[in-house]
Amino acid sequence: MTPLIKFIDFNFSYLDSPTPILKNINLEIKEGEFVLLVGPSGCGKSTLLRCINGLIPHLYSGVYKGKVIVDGEQVSEKNISTLATKVGFVFQNPENQIFMFTVEKDIVFGLENIGVDKEEIGRRLEWALKILNIEHLRYRAPYELSDGQKQRVAIAGTLVMHPKILILDEPTSLLDPKTAYEFISTLKELNRSIGITIIVVEHRIDLLPKVADRMIVMDGGQIVFDGPFKDIIKEKNLHLYGVTVPPIISLQNTLSESGVNLPGYSLDVRSFSEMIKKEVFRND
Amino acid sequence: MFWIAEGLIYRRQDSVFHTIDPRIKLLISMMLFFLSLVSSTIVEFSIILVLIFFIGALSKTLKRMVRTFVFSLSFLAMIFVINILVGYDIMFSIIISLRFISVVSSTSIFFLTSSPDELELVMKSFYLPYDLIFAFVTAVRFVPVIMLDAIQILDSQRSRGLEIEKGNFIKRIKNYIPVLIPLIVQAIIRSEELAEAMESRAYGFSKKKTSYYSLHLRKRDYFAATVAICFMIVFIYAIYFLHI
Amino acid sequence: MIEVKQLYFKYPTMKDYVLKNINIKIELGQIVAIMGSNGSGKTTLIKHFNGLLKPNEGYVKVFGKDTQDESVAALSRKVGLVFQNPDHQIFSDTVWNEVTFALKNFGFEEEVIKKRVKWALEFFNLIQYKDTSPLLLSGGEKKRLCLASILAWDPDYIVLDEPTVGQDFLQKEKLREVIKMLITRNKTVIIVSHDIEFIWLLQPRIILLSNGEVVKDDVCANVFKDDASIDKCGVIKPQFVELFDHLAPLLPHPPLDVLEARSTFLKLMKKGG
Ligand SMILES: Nc1ncnc2c1ncn2[C@@H]1O[C@H](COP(=O)(O)OP(=O)(O)OP(=O)(O)O)[C@@H](O)[C@H]1O
Ligand SMILES: Nc1ncnc2c1ncn2[C@@H]1O[C@H](COP(=O)(O)OP(=O)(O)OP(=O)(O)O)[C@@H](O)[C@H]1O
Ligand SMILES: [Mg+2]
Ligand SMILES: [Mg+2]
Repeated sequence: MTPLIKFIDFNFSYLDSPTPILKNINLEIKEGEFVLLVGPSGCGKSTLLRCINGLIPHLYSGVYKGKVIVDGEQVSEKNISTLATKVGFVFQNPENQIFMFTVEKDIVFGLENIGVDKEEIGRRLEWALKILNIEHLRYRAPYELSDGQKQRVAIAGTLVMHPKILILDEPTSLLDPKTAYEFISTLKELNRSIGITIIVVEHRIDLLPKVADRMIVMDGGQIVFDGPFKDIIKEKNLHLYGVTVPPIISLQNTLSESGVNLPGYSLDVRSFSEMIKKEVFRND
Repeated sequence: MFWIAEGLIYRRQDSVFHTIDPRIKLLISMMLFFLSLVSSTIVEFSIILVLIFFIGALSKTLKRMVRTFVFSLSFLAMIFVINILVGYDIMFSIIISLRFISVVSSTSIFFLTSSPDELELVMKSFYLPYDLIFAFVTAVRFVPVIMLDAIQILDSQRSRGLEIEKGNFIKRIKNYIPVLIPLIVQAIIRSEELAEAMESRAYGFSKKKTSYYSLHLRKRDYFAATVAICFMIVFIYAIYFLHI
Repeated sequence: MIEVKQLYFKYPTMKDYVLKNINIKIELGQIVAIMGSNGSGKTTLIKHFNGLLKPNEGYVKVFGKDTQDESVAALSRKVGLVFQNPDHQIFSDTVWNEVTFALKNFGFEEEVIKKRVKWALEFFNLIQYKDTSPLLLSGGEKKRLCLASILAWDPDYIVLDEPTVGQDFLQKEKLREVIKMLITRNKTVIIVSHDIEFIWLLQPRIILLSNGEVVKDDVCANVFKDDASIDKCGVIKPQFVELFDHLAPLLPHPPLDVLEARSTFLKLMKKGG
């Protein structure tokens, strides 16, 4: 299968940045993957995401070398609006991505822009409201929504474009733990049910085991680790790359360093506990 | 800080008047505005004001309309005093003040009962360029957001010992610098983020933009328009030909 | 001491109370975390601590003085608030001047200002930027700068609104060190945060808010035992508490950090093996 997103020998620096921000990026992402992107503050995560939906080089210019190919087409040769039908982008600050005065109007904003006809807009609107569970918010104004609800509306506004890829840049950083957890579960649901490819930058990794398939770690504009989530999360020095490793995972790492041979590796507390119980009681 | 703008900011409400086509609401609002300008006797103003209050009651916005009134009272007093000082008689000053009230409240009818979305549709139906309309809509959308920013910034600086009201005139003006600079920076950051989000949702894609919403005049809209126009004709006829 | 008694508060534009019957006392030398769902009133509450907001009913007293009778400036001298968004306060031409701003407002002597600012910038590794514009700093550096600009005047209470948002692991570690250091100097640090694992490592006293009411006010360990309360407040359990729930008879108590957990499990496995 040809990859949905492909970076080939890619380098980028903003016009006013003295050093390259992205260096020698080679990356392939397949359709349907759920990718977690992490790295220290300022390492270029947001910059990388902007290259996928064309904000770079179309809105932010700079020195652009190499190729980024999305769904078979070169990003630098398409305009952002065309790419908007392939790539949806949800930002950190929910306030700045809802333009209209009602949820419904905001969701259809993109469809009106690309000239979809009225019946189709209606159909997609109903679908998006339903899939994100926000039918009851339909006629609300942005200031009548909580931050979590705003983030859902923002997703709905991009989903109606039927993108193949959904990109989220620190979408939960302002949300309370429970809302954040529910939000991430919603993403997984979308990934399963409609097979949409998801790339998310997220600092709270404890929300993501069982959700992400793949983990990419960046540092200083380069990709330093890339592989299945369950393998990369075991890497010893992830904290040096700004990653807050969930305690249950750190624990297993230090235990194995201390010579304890656990029969497996668990990503969440429940399965870890099961494993420990079996281990301890087996020896009784 | 918020309550100042209360009288002009739309709130969603259920009333017969709110459901009228925004173009008709604009027509009614403009008509009352026009009548306020041509009226010149207390009787005429009374009729207009009664009508405005009636609409206020009908649309359940009376309370907020009155609040705007109270707010403009100081302004009104000023107009009144200036008129007297300039040498007009009391009667004339009263008329001018009444005119001011009716002008202000007739415009607020439209803004209190039409959502910015409706305003957008009205602008569209006049074939204004979409960029202009969108700029206007987002500006209105972000007024409360920027107000909250301002409050937050002021709170941050007061927490660092800034006392806005302290000092002589020059010092006081200087006191605003720590508030204004972050406010401007914040506005720039917002507009950049906004631009990113708009572009990411195909803003300015093509000329074939569709519109999911459109305005349709219904029976009750025709009815409201007819009543309004009849009223205006009768009113003007009464002023100029019957000399009431 | 900060003492809040029967505090009720509503914003003038809103119908309902945002804070209802709040009663808390915060002494010196503590870490206090305030947690709760979005919109539960956390930020509104901390704005009462230095008099930015005044109660509609009840009172807030700071070192025995009612906030109604004091200016925000006078109260801020004792209670330093650092808000979530650094861009809401940064305005100076240089990093150095950003920190002097408050000290000048409080009327410190020129010499003292110099010493304090130098100390604060050095402490937060920002001294090399002293002549650059603060707007050019990265997100994490800006956050540190804001904290520096408050610590420079040495308030007794340091109140932080969501200090870990957008911060990476190393920056959070640094912050944790700063907090620990402040406690040894008998300061009180009050943190509003959604970052559960960060809070768990600090083991603070936790005040849970829901809908403007205090649902729970207790030490960390006890709060996370109370499933009903944390659920009501949109909080979830730290992983080690969840672990303890699953393995209760095997563990003495929820591990405080990875090191402690390791030694517990090492013993456990040895005993088994
Ligand atoms: N519009 C821009 N113009 C110039 N430089 C920029 C721009 N945006 C980001 N940078 C610089 O590029 C580098 C990478 O920034 P980026 O925002 O991609 O980092 P990030 O990994 O997303 O960090 P964070 O976790 O803090 O969001 C930083 O050094 C930043 O200062
Ligand atoms: N200036 C204001 N005017 C009117 N209402 C406000 C204002 N500031 C906050 N509110 C409202 O008060 C309630 C409590 O807000 P607050 O900001 O204290 O919540 P919070 O617990 O800090 O939430 P978050 O976790 O999202 O920061 C919310 O419903 C909010 O909409
Ligand atoms: Mg970023
Ligand atoms: Mg808050």
